[in-house]
Amino acid sequence: MTKIMAPMKARTVPALFVLCMLASACSVAGPAPTPEGHELFQLCSQCHGPTAAGNRAVNAPEIAGLPQWYIEAQLKKFKQGGRGTHFDDLTGMQMRPMAMSLATDAEIAVVSEYVSKLPVVKPAAELKDGNAEHGKTLFATCLACHGPQAGGMEAMKAPPLNHASDWYLFASLKKFKAGIRGTNPLDVSGATMRPMSQTLVDEQAMKDVIAHIGTLQQ
Amino acid sequence: MIEHYIEQVSTYAADIDNLITMIAVITGFWFVLVEVVFLGLIVAYRKKPGVKAQYITGEEKHQKRWIGIPHELVLLCDIAVIIGAVRVWVDVKQTMPPAQETVRIIGQQWAWSFVQPGPDGKLDTADDIKTVDELHVKVDTTYHFKLEARDVLHSFSVPVFRLKQDAIPGRVITGWFRAKKTGTHDIQCAEICGIGHGLMPARIVIESAGEHNAWMAAQAALATK
Repeated sequence: MTKIMAPMKARTVPALFVLCMLASACSVAGPAPTPEGHELFQLCSQCHGPTAAGNRAVNAPEIAGLPQWYIEAQLKKFKQGGRGTHFDDLTGMQMRPMAMSLATDAEIAVVSEYVSKLPVVKPAAELKDGNAEHGKTLFATCLACHGPQAGGMEAMKAPPLNHASDWYLFASLKKFKAGIRGTNPLDVSGATMRPMSQTLVDEQAMKDVIAHIGTLQQ
Repeated sequence: MIEHYIEQVSTYAADIDNLITMIAVITGFWFVLVEVVFLGLIVAYRKKPGVKAQYITGEEKHQKRWIGIPHELVLLCDIAVIIGAVRVWVDVKQTMPPAQETVRIIGQQWAWSFVQPGPDGKLDTADDIKTVDELHVKVDTTYHFKLEARDVLHSFSVPVFRLKQDAIPGRVITGWFRAKKTGTHDIQCAEICGIGHGLMPARIVIESAGEHNAWMAAQAALATK
């Protein structure tokens, strides 16, 4: 028995070594692990800032604390071409390659979760001549989807607006009204927003409703 | 040789490849020759017992030949390269064949946009067809492009055409291409233009006349919706 075992043992050690090498080779060839949220966020922070509070100079809105479902949906739209592919959507075109740099749905989910957990930053008002009182009346159309405090409703695919940058809301409303957003067949939820934007007759009406949104509590 | 690695799809791609191959062969020949002579001399004149090192001024005729003859041969090679390069430059950049179609190409952070004439056949009218990240063109048709940049420097590059042209804000640069076979190929930006530079993912779709007309009709129909 001892005589049989001894050569087996002698062969076992190199065999195990070869198996370990093969196993490590297989693990190298497998899919790369999904990076952590804070690692993926490094790219976002270049424009949106380290706290995701936004930077108007580079057309990047505040995104900290937005719901994960909304961030995921928008990143997927950008990546698939539902946003950022309209001829006049110049700021959307800036965002699209960033979403395309996220290789998998898992990466989109991880970075969206990370951003959604960042503390909300309410940006300072930049639009000056909005009439919040008049905007309150106009907001009646918005609250069915975005909620009475503009806190957003996932069931309606409506994001919270009450901590959004006012300049970004203004730019977005103008894009929806002009058909720059909400007309791409891949942007289904955007298509529901587009007719709503048509109810605002002019830019002053947009400023008024944004002024009212600025008064709402989170 | 280059076409084995990247297709030649424009009418001038082969001329440019031939020029690059000629330059690679000439410089490659001189590189190998110089290294062989250099290493050979190092080995031949390595340290030997009883031989004292000496300083050579290089003024003797037989010494000067080592520089003079290669110098004259390299100048002859330079002339060959210059003749080849100027010929290609004149054909591709200086000579503009008459346009059968014209397209406006706009670079911006970080996408390529394209404007083509609509059914009226005129650029910059209401029925223009505007696309982002996708340029549709007809095969065997000479296109003039009007290249613009909306923000910073970009460079319109279609590797299979061997076409690369800087886009400069404030200027409209005219160039041309003629595709000789159908297919879909990459368009890229070849000038660092910001954080999204590496992801300006446009495509050029080269179609037969029938396919292209069908595409134009579909675009025109979309625009009127």
